Amino acid sequence: MKLPLLLLPLAFAVAVLLGADTLGPGDLLALATDPAAPLSRLVWAWRVPRVLAAACVGALLGLGGALFQGVFRNPLAEPYLLGGAGGAAVGATLGLLAPLPLPAPLALPLLAFAGAWGATGLVLLLARAAGLVAVPGLLLAGVAVAAVLGAARSFLMLALSDETVSLQAVLSWTLGGVQTPSWPELGGLALLVLLALAAALPLARGLDLLGLGEDMAASLGLPVARFVRLAVLAGAFVVAASVVWGGLVGFIGLMAPHLARWRLGPAHARVIPAAAAIGASLAMLADGVARAALPPAEIPLGLVTALVGGPFFLLVLAREARR
Amino acid sequence: MSALLAAESVTVRRGGRALVEAASLSLRAGEVLALVGPNGAGKSTLLRTLAGLETPASGTVRLEGRPLAGWPVPARVRRIGYLPQSFTPHWDLTARALIGLGAGRGAVLPWGGTASGPADAPDGGIDALAAGFDLADRLDRPWSTLSGGERGRALLAAVLATEPPVLLADEPAAALDIAQQLRLMRRLRARADAGRGAAIVVLHDLNLAARWCDRVAVLRAGRLVLDGESGPVLRDPALDAAFGVRFRRTAEAGRVMLWPEEG
Repeated sequence: MKLPLLLLPLAFAVAVLLGADTLGPGDLLALATDPAAPLSRLVWAWRVPRVLAAACVGALLGLGGALFQGVFRNPLAEPYLLGGAGGAAVGATLGLLAPLPLPAPLALPLLAFAGAWGATGLVLLLARAAGLVAVPGLLLAGVAVAAVLGAARSFLMLALSDETVSLQAVLSWTLGGVQTPSWPELGGLALLVLLALAAALPLARGLDLLGLGEDMAASLGLPVARFVRLAVLAGAFVVAASVVWGGLVGFIGLMAPHLARWRLGPAHARVIPAAAAIGASLAMLADGVARAALPPAEIPLGLVTALVGGPFFLLVLAREARR
Repeated sequence: MSALLAAESVTVRRGGRALVEAASLSLRAGEVLALVGPNGAGKSTLLRTLAGLETPASGTVRLEGRPLAGWPVPARVRRIGYLPQSFTPHWDLTARALIGLGAGRGAVLPWGGTASGPADAPDGGIDALAAGFDLADRLDRPWSTLSGGERGRALLAAVLATEPPVLLADEPAAALDIAQQLRLMRRLRARADAGRGAAIVVLHDLNLAARWCDRVAVLRAGRLVLDGESGPVLRDPALDAAFGVRFRRTAEAGRVMLWPEEG
């Protein structure tokens, strides 16, 4: 547990220094001790909330990944790859663009949740119906569902957009990115992370049992079907929260649980919180790079994570294939 | 003696086909029962049904006289240990973690959470339990580094961690070398003789059954065709018909030994 927790302040410090004008490590002291200086005020007002928002989104991504990998019993499972995030994005697009009787702040998360839940359930159903619980089959089912959802999202954007709604907002979902939140917004986001942790942690033992195979899990007392439904529901909640706040950010959900297991072993009671901490750290760093790479422009967060995460995925795939 | 675990006229169907048909089989305290039969006869299905992993289309499975469905799940799973035919964990967990999950199985709540209260450790702790399975220095090794025999023993330790009065083992000897097979059968025999737990063991090796089991039940095409004390069952000509071979029988230390020959 120590290492992931140590990573958090380190990643935070680095991320605060990174930006349109990147600071040196020496400036950290000034930022901490002289909050009235112009630079400090700028950093505290703009950069710190942004970095913290990235941390929260990253924690949600890490949690989502840990839940997905646990439920699917598959080290390559990830909400972004298996359609869960895609479903949430379709829901979010509908919430943003379609004329709905609900106010947007309510419709958006609700539809994102419904989308994530539906898509995840669909992948699980397809994989099971085809008897494809093994690694490649499950991934194929997930990729197919994700592709269909991506097309559905593009179609919705084209069909529903007009001059009154900006496509910009929806496009930012597609590419993934964290906005600078107000402090109350950040408080809400932090609360969401705590809720997600509280929802995921009680599932730890069930996920451990599920990892022994369904027969073994059932013979040790786990009501397998009911538990999977519940875990998918919790996973959909976490994924929807991450998509509403950060859009489609891939691969953090893949990497964080892997790094957690690599350092701490496969017990979910440790993997779940560690994946949240590692995901937060990764997202802070990636978001920092996104802000600092091409000043004054920002590159999308999803682009940075895919650049690192894609090769990581291939590495894991190669290792799985050899097993 | 009353039955610990009994299948009463159990029929199990899948896809319209009966895998097990009207099977009645009971296990009494102190018994080691061999369930034998050719491939596809329904041995695994019957065993899974006895373990509560398969719901019969008709018939009832009773544990200590009470239908399985009438048992609270935690109490039931602590009383029936199930050893699957093949076991491949999805994560590279340690033997200690596996035994912990086996020992803590009554504590799993319906939603899969962890109950507070009794820790995952059996009486005397996981270390003491593991020592009895010759695993003391292997406990904290990941699964991928354990040998086949060590894996088998770790799984058995996990399944037996709650001292279940009933053990259902599906071909536990298949992947073991001769010495490991001997240790396994001796352990099951000793448990039964000490009154600590009866067992139903699916076996392919009839001579293992002859040597270690009190009773032999023979399944063929989903039906129990023979069931009785080892000696008489293994001498019965119906055994040859069930397996579709001709056995030459010899006696060794008062026990029958079977030598299969072409039909």
